[in-house]
Amino acid sequence: MTNDDAIEIAARAVDLAIGAGAQNAQATFSVSQRFHVEARDATVSKLERSAGSNVHLRLWKDGRRVAVSSSDLNSQHLRAAIVGALDQLRYVAQDPFAGPPDEFGRFAGDLSLVDPAVSSRDDAERIEDVLALERAIRAADPRIVNSSGSHYSDAVSTIGLASSNDFRGAYTATRASRSTAPLAEESGSKRTAHYGTAGCFMRDLEDPAVVGAVAARRAVEMFGARKPPTMRAPVIFERDVAAAVLDDVFSAVAASNVAVGNSWLAERIGERVGSELVTIIDDGTLPGRLGSAPFDGEGIATRRTPVFESGVLRTFLYDTYYARKLGARTTGNSAGGGIGANNFYLEPGRGSLAELIGSTRRGVLVLDTIGFATEHATGTYSRGARGFMIENGELAYPIDEFTVAGDFAEMLSGVDGVASDLRFDSTTVAPSFRVAEMTISGN
Amino acid sequence: MIDRDVFTRLLSRALRYGGDYADIFCERRRSYAFRLQDGHIHDGATSIVQGVGIRVVVGESAGYAYSDDLSTEALMRAAEAASLIARNAPARANGSIDLTTAIVVPLYDQSRKDHAPAARYVDLLERADRSARAYDPRIVAVNAHVSDELQDVWIATSDGRFAHDHRPMITLGVQAVASSRGERGSGYAADGGRTAVEYFDAHSPEELGSDAARIATTNLDAEPAPAGEMEMVVGAGGGGVLLHEAVGHGLESDFNRRGTSLYSGRVGERVASELVTIYDDGNLPEERGSIAIDDEGVPGQHKVLVERGVLRGYMQDTLNARLMGAMPTGSGRRQSYRFLPQPRMCNTYMPSGEGTPEEIIASTKRGLYAKSFAGGQVEISKGDFVFMVAEGYLIENGKVTAPVKNATIVGNGPDAMTKVVAVGNDARLARRHYTCGKGGQHVPVGVGMPTVKISSITVGGTADDE
Repeated sequence: MTNDDAIEIAARAVDLAIGAGAQNAQATFSVSQRFHVEARDATVSKLERSAGSNVHLRLWKDGRRVAVSSSDLNSQHLRAAIVGALDQLRYVAQDPFAGPPDEFGRFAGDLSLVDPAVSSRDDAERIEDVLALERAIRAADPRIVNSSGSHYSDAVSTIGLASSNDFRGAYTATRASRSTAPLAEESGSKRTAHYGTAGCFMRDLEDPAVVGAVAARRAVEMFGARKPPTMRAPVIFERDVAAAVLDDVFSAVAASNVAVGNSWLAERIGERVGSELVTIIDDGTLPGRLGSAPFDGEGIATRRTPVFESGVLRTFLYDTYYARKLGARTTGNSAGGGIGANNFYLEPGRGSLAELIGSTRRGVLVLDTIGFATEHATGTYSRGARGFMIENGELAYPIDEFTVAGDFAEMLSGVDGVASDLRFDSTTVAPSFRVAEMTISGN
Repeated sequence: MIDRDVFTRLLSRALRYGGDYADIFCERRRSYAFRLQDGHIHDGATSIVQGVGIRVVVGESAGYAYSDDLSTEALMRAAEAASLIARNAPARANGSIDLTTAIVVPLYDQSRKDHAPAARYVDLLERADRSARAYDPRIVAVNAHVSDELQDVWIATSDGRFAHDHRPMITLGVQAVASSRGERGSGYAADGGRTAVEYFDAHSPEELGSDAARIATTNLDAEPAPAGEMEMVVGAGGGGVLLHEAVGHGLESDFNRRGTSLYSGRVGERVASELVTIYDDGNLPEERGSIAIDDEGVPGQHKVLVERGVLRGYMQDTLNARLMGAMPTGSGRRQSYRFLPQPRMCNTYMPSGEGTPEEIIASTKRGLYAKSFAGGQVEISKGDFVFMVAEGYLIENGKVTAPVKNATIVGNGPDAMTKVVAVGNDARLARRHYTCGKGGQHVPVGVGMPTVKISSITVGGTADDE
């Protein structure tokens, strides 16, 4: 599928919609070639290869909006779905802010989102990747006797966007990832861990040996874990968990949540919310990164948007609709129906994670969390967690079956250390950071 | 949607290199939705998910390919891609495949072939919105959504089964936000099931709206939850999330066949207090987690998971059942044709015990009354879980007292189940709105439970200990 083919399919969907009576229409056509292999020990347990496509249409008429999404591209079927949606539209309230963007654009620089080395990999190479991961976790420690599976996957995706008011655009991007989930056993008890790596380019991925060794260490180091005491203490969020915290921050700055009362940051633009160390950027123009694209989901040029600068909340992230509704300008964050992150990240600091631990007298290092209890309206955070107790700047003993909880405003203002270990293995990422004080519930 | 003859040709092509088994999952799903914001219908959406997934199984390995292009040539390419898993397997003779249509006992209305008129759904949203706003002047925002979905699945297997199911699913959800003097509180209520818009004639949208508003204003007035270990009383209905996380996932057969669950190899052993019995049932009429047949064509079933504290069996899909020498239990489910099936829960619940809810609360000196949960998660190999309490209160000296907000419960499955010290006589299923995620796939499920007391659990709040 070429970029021109993708534009052509999107444009035909727009024509169908206009022909059926829409005043304005936008269509996003996406197609992906996906490959996935899973192995356990020396056995290839899953081998998946598919081509999937979808068209997503936004239709407007008389200040009302509806959407159609379909994996069935047959034009008669698609037309029937559009007619049905236009009947739905009659029941939608008129909204002065509804409508396609007034002007379009695209980032002019070279984003280099395509790695030919991804699409040219043959099956034997891809399978060897997962077998190498399985060997690596077992070689790392004799207690690694099993795994929930090692994975390699890649995809080549093409996105075509067409708008009835004169936008045509398309781009192609590659992505690849490898991950593993070893299981360690010691005197009848089982411990698992997970570690992975991902990027647009093969060369950005960590080697199977490294991924396997990190995952294996994380599984075995949890043996003998106990509950920490219930206390208020400094908490260090390791990089992967820190990224999950940043996901929650993203939800609070997404204008779609702000507009409906679902953000604790509503009405706080210009305020100092975080500490000096909190600088958070959304940037769709970083070359070769997973969240980069020349234009967003509705054809607006991507850009670099500082969201927090030295703790001060500068802006929310908008698409056209919510920008109009909240009296702002779009930041190029349309996901074609909602608000999405481009590359949303916390600026790294200077020191290493080890230095951050070393400067913590008594606290908790969080390596993994479970649960998803974030109340975005009120800004409260709570997770089940595991990690290490830190005493006198050293990892004293592993801990689990505890919760870490706090208020987002206190968490951001309490950030008193940020490490340098940022990596762009997802669209929302963060380096490890420390919060001065949170509530630990254990014994 | 696809000729029977094409199914048999695809199965033959899928097994051309050999393999133990092949199946085809063909799906067409139409959904019809509206959202309400700021008192107005904000937008509507129509979506169509249509495609075919083809699987070839060799031993413990599966090859899979899907196609949303339904032309015979595209489907043959997918069958070819799926067959590659067996390229190095020992060749085996595959006789011609004769598909026999399975009789599917209907569990939900098969007659409706399209959604109701738009006005019906709009009316539900507007009534829920008005009711939430009327509940309390401190309600500052109401967001509501309704979706009505019809899914048709056709499943053909190399051992000759051919089955079709027509599955309706309606969901109405209301979120209310309360605000006063700089404080905020949020509440959510939703219901529906494998039924149609008429369900809400008897289950009024006004009740959902006022429940969401009640939870939002309760949370507005609530104090931060305490932190530390204490007794916990879990409310009837929505408390069933506890069973789903603390026990259910650990009994899915993929984890057990691979030996990665803490329940692996423990059928027949005591894993919980003898007050604990847990069922998983795919056969309850119109429940959200019910399936007349699963996504591998096996009829949904009633399964005894734990009986008086003793582990009785696992939830099996066909692949893991065959490798474990067990029978499939109608537990093979998938999010869509783009995914391989996994063993999953349907409706997981605990039957009534003997105590009354009042007695159970009266017997609690200091604890948390977790009336409902917003969700949870479990780690399979050790069994550690968390739940987020949606509506919680303190229990002090046998009485339910102040509301508390933002409580997260953390515990260990077998440990918590051993500490079940009372089971109430008020078992019921929760409102139908739960969705379970596993391995990146989401499927609708149901949960249920009577009032249950656990003697000690860790509550992760933020309030300073007294």
